Amino acid sequence: MDRRTFVKVGCIGSASVLVQGLDPMVRAEKVPPAAPPIDLHGIPDYKPSPLGMPGLFPGRVVEVRDRNAIVRNRVSQPIVRRLLEQAMKELTGESSARDAWAKFIEPTDVVGIKINPSGAPACCSSPEIIREIIASVRSLGVPARSIVMYDRYSYEIDIGSYQVLLPPQVQIVGIQDAFSGGGVGYEPTVYCDANFFGEWETRSYMASIVAHQVTKIINVPTMKDHSAAGVTGALKNLAYGTFNNVARSHRAPHSFTNPLVGLMCTVEPLRSKAVLHIMDGMRQVWHGGPLTQVQAFIEQPGILLVATDPVAMDTIELEAIEEKRRESGVSSLWQHDPSSLTADNRIFFHDASKNLFFRQPGHIAAAGKLGLGISDLKQIDHRLRPS
Amino acid sequence: MMMTPEKATSKSPPDWPTLLGDNARTGGHAQVRFHSPEKAVWQYRTGSPVRSAPVFHDSVLYAASVNGVLHAINVATGTSKWKFEAAGQVHSTPSLFGNTVLLGCDDGKVYAVDGNSGKKLWEAGSQAEVWSSPVVRNEIVFFGSADGKVYAVDGKNGQPTWSQELGGRIYCTIYAEEHQLYVGCGDGKVYSIETDSGKILWSTATGNGIDSSPAVVDNLVLIGSEDFVFYALDASNGEVRWKYETGLGIASSPAVSGDFAVIGSKDGFLYAFEVQTGHLRWKTAVGEVVTASPVIGSGVVCIQAGGAFALDMGSGKIVWQAGLGGAIQSVPILAADSIYLASLSGEIYALR
Repeated sequence: MDRRTFVKVGCIGSASVLVQGLDPMVRAEKVPPAAPPIDLHGIPDYKPSPLGMPGLFPGRVVEVRDRNAIVRNRVSQPIVRRLLEQAMKELTGESSARDAWAKFIEPTDVVGIKINPSGAPACCSSPEIIREIIASVRSLGVPARSIVMYDRYSYEIDIGSYQVLLPPQVQIVGIQDAFSGGGVGYEPTVYCDANFFGEWETRSYMASIVAHQVTKIINVPTMKDHSAAGVTGALKNLAYGTFNNVARSHRAPHSFTNPLVGLMCTVEPLRSKAVLHIMDGMRQVWHGGPLTQVQAFIEQPGILLVATDPVAMDTIELEAIEEKRRESGVSSLWQHDPSSLTADNRIFFHDASKNLFFRQPGHIAAAGKLGLGISDLKQIDHRLRPS
Repeated sequence: MMMTPEKATSKSPPDWPTLLGDNARTGGHAQVRFHSPEKAVWQYRTGSPVRSAPVFHDSVLYAASVNGVLHAINVATGTSKWKFEAAGQVHSTPSLFGNTVLLGCDDGKVYAVDGNSGKKLWEAGSQAEVWSSPVVRNEIVFFGSADGKVYAVDGKNGQPTWSQELGGRIYCTIYAEEHQLYVGCGDGKVYSIETDSGKILWSTATGNGIDSSPAVVDNLVLIGSEDFVFYALDASNGEVRWKYETGLGIASSPAVSGDFAVIGSKDGFLYAFEVQTGHLRWKTAVGEVVTASPVIGSGVVCIQAGGAFALDMGSGKIVWQAGLGGAIQSVPILAADSIYLASLSGEIYALR
């Protein structure tokens, strides 16, 4: 049993420590001067799609909200349905929801729905939103069997009970089990190669389901802070949920989520297939993400963000979480004060002034520089539509 | 002799032929003397996560690992007696029908395996994964499938008797009485189904899908829902007799003993109720998330969450805990002087 597995085995079942490598027990001895070279290997000669990131509407983010969309931690299916329909029409300019969805999905597509179950059950992609996405996709003539809801770890999907809550025939795939090797379910020729901290395995491989099975991806991130990346939004949900062996990019207190998150999102065919991002802001985690179960740090604003541009979407998310942290009197996600660091998960999860890493919210702007979208707030077409 | 997994009689060590001990889901009440385990007498590595609960019969423990392997383990030595490899992943808790081991598989089949040899006896098919545990009553095997159907097959050869389509995926393990089955469904409804024909007798809607498996006591169907609520329904007509709201969804299944029922919630608490009134006796935090089912021993309630916990049945106070046996859906087996734990990490422990 290696050390990382030991940590998991000792803690399994406690979501706060089901930490996919956010491992403060190993600390870098020296400050790494800069990110190492990162070699990207996509599918050769893959023809980029015009629907690929930043997609049909660069810089446009539609935000709809309804305080009644979530009441006492329960998400309202009818209100989510209405919000999603409103947002899709606003994003695309179409007068009907069906026409709006048809801009992205064709009946012959195999549609992947990339959820974020990390942090279940306290904060994860709401099954109510997933059900509405499925219904919308099926309304275009896509068979249920051609819809694949997926994420990396099957046990996290299990904790969220997604398997029970979705319609029959929709495929539900956990790319790998928590304790099995990382090689199963991954495409050996598509990878990112970098040596961050002297790790023995320097490659992160793309999930086969992304490389080969699905033809379109609808990304459903959650609205959370992230102890290493600053926030986990559309970019990180796609990148770290598509490639394996990603926890190695952060070793307390340092994190190379910037630039790795953005770089991974440029790898084809991930970039081309991710055509739509629907951020679940029913709940908003402003400290302890991505895995916290502490309700004191989880707001319930009832927000839904829709965009084709993940950079613009994550920029809006970052601002929202920063605002909440300011209101709560805790430090910015950009703060790099060594005195705020702790190696103790228990302290981190209950003290909003503490963190495990120097967070790297700059990964969003870095992704913008890679052409994945717009990170300048002044250029973002943020359409706030109260219900 | 064919044995049906109905309520075990007093013998030592008792069998534990199905989920939560027996068809009454008593979880072994009064079958084990309580004491805090002092040591792990053996540890068995399956080599793959274990998502389901083990069962026990005649000094052999049967546990299925997610990679599709059913392990028969000699409990005296902690060594393998045989292994059976299914064609897909396995998330189903095995159950015993005489000397036959039954288990569902992600390939859509239920396999019947000879308990002595580990050889396949028969298989029965559905159209999607079978995560529920097969349940046997009067030599008929009942199981639900993610294809949305409940199946009844002959326990001797797997030949279909009937099937009934419900409104959503089924991951719930059926509760089988003489004339009625009770099952929760992904469409959020609890169904009562006629045992002989598969005809739906009644259904009652909850507010979200159902992952929990029911128990029936004193004409009440006890079951949790992902709508956060623990329900007691009239077994005759499905009317809600009482309900209790927890802090998050319920994937756990209730264990019952007389007028006492206990169930976990994803809010991290175990809740104990008086069955007839719904009065909450106690609630105790045992972790940040509880998805597995508790079992009831002699004076204690045991649960696997972040580790293994034993709580005083009367007060709900934690009387001992062990930092192993973390699980999502596994359930401890309380057998005579030993406790067997299967963990998500793939280890199986015998504690004594």
